[in-house]
Amino acid sequence: MSNIIEKVADCLVRAGSTFREDQKEAYRKAIADEKIESSCWVMKQVLDNALVAEKNRSPLCDDTGIPHLFLEVGKHQSVTGELLEEIKEGVRQGLRQLPGRPMAIKGDDYARIDQSGGLNEDSGALDASPILIKPVEEDVIRLTVLMLGGGPAIRGITQRVFHKHSVDVVIEEIVNRAKPAVSQLGCSPCTLAIGIGRSQFEATSLMMEAMAKGNFGVQSDFEKHITIKVNDANVGPLGLGGKHSVLATFAKIGPQRASGVRIVALRPCCCFEPRRACVEL
Amino acid sequence: MNKIIELTTPFSEEVISQLKVGNVVSITGDIYCGRDAVLPRICKELEAGTWTQRGIDLQGGVIFHTAVSPAGVGPTSSNKLEIEGSFEVLSSKGAIKMHLGKGAIKPETVKMLAGNNAVFAIIPPVTALLESQTLERECVAWPELGMEALYRIKVKNYQAIIAAAKGESIYE
Repeated sequence: MSNIIEKVADCLVRAGSTFREDQKEAYRKAIADEKIESSCWVMKQVLDNALVAEKNRSPLCDDTGIPHLFLEVGKHQSVTGELLEEIKEGVRQGLRQLPGRPMAIKGDDYARIDQSGGLNEDSGALDASPILIKPVEEDVIRLTVLMLGGGPAIRGITQRVFHKHSVDVVIEEIVNRAKPAVSQLGCSPCTLAIGIGRSQFEATSLMMEAMAKGNFGVQSDFEKHITIKVNDANVGPLGLGGKHSVLATFAKIGPQRASGVRIVALRPCCCFEPRRACVEL
Repeated sequence: MNKIIELTTPFSEEVISQLKVGNVVSITGDIYCGRDAVLPRICKELEAGTWTQRGIDLQGGVIFHTAVSPAGVGPTSSNKLEIEGSFEVLSSKGAIKMHLGKGAIKPETVKMLAGNNAVFAIIPPVTALLESQTLERECVAWPELGMEALYRIKVKNYQAIIAAAKGESIYE
């Protein structure tokens, strides 16, 4: 196995099995602050689970997720077809090592839609999503692997907001969309990932970047405001009530269009997400 | 948190009748795993009276709404049509005593469970923890469904919280 393949495979396993320190600390704070016993019990279970998963390098959740890749490239670096092939192979090896849930659907376009072709039993057969590439100032090639589960994908929303020249209007609409999404998610406490851009593609790309870069311990006023307002709904962990439906909000606001419309991508990430890890290649 | 109630499968009528919403239980023993694909098949055979031919005794048992894959186990939403739709037949004709999953279920399902002296419990999606508490796994029916087949697993100290019992729901 080449050095890059090995690094990518290891990165994927870490993404699927490890809580970052800021994520653990967010749970510790929420557990200490939560008054509802059953909600507290849920969050302790989630944190205990993370410690066991990290120790065993085993999946945090049986829905191990679809690999999504975010590649940062410094201006003196180059991305070759060979590098992309090695990343692809690293993903395949990582999925086998984790192991990922065998979720690749077999067959032609129709069979993949209605799932009539069955599942591929090889965990490594699961294709990653298209790679998102971003130029950066640092002289690096850095890959972030994100493992995106199905529950948040079902409840995610990408849609326009008529902003009426008011940030409050945009925040209110985000909160109105987030409250039912968090309630329906099931696997909470969640983290809200938000991207605001000029098109559906751009907003979703920004949301991906927010998931790749967000930090539970570093929250902007915009992010804090949304977290507080959504937590007012009192959904709580696993819907059992309490102050901690949302642990944090990760938002990325991009360039905006000269118009009355903002495109907002919103994903209620589950209690393990954003499952991510990064590696310099 | 109140004391954790230790339970061993299969459950007696008396043990189930003492459970209340909000109790945290620790489950040890054999439990069955199935979800959308396999639960309607079990119900169909229970209703047709052909289930006994399989030699699988569900009496006093637990159905955990999960797939069983190399990645482990973890609850899927129990309020999916095919899953919540299986509660009544599994309780009344299969004598299942505990449906184990996640998410709020309908008031009529809560009432039906009470009528059958059965409960719904929720379990956090803690796959790594559950994997460390899963001792054995065996596919017992419909292997062609892969990870969505009916599995019997032997577990030790799976923790869950009683979400519906005696006509009450934790979500009310």
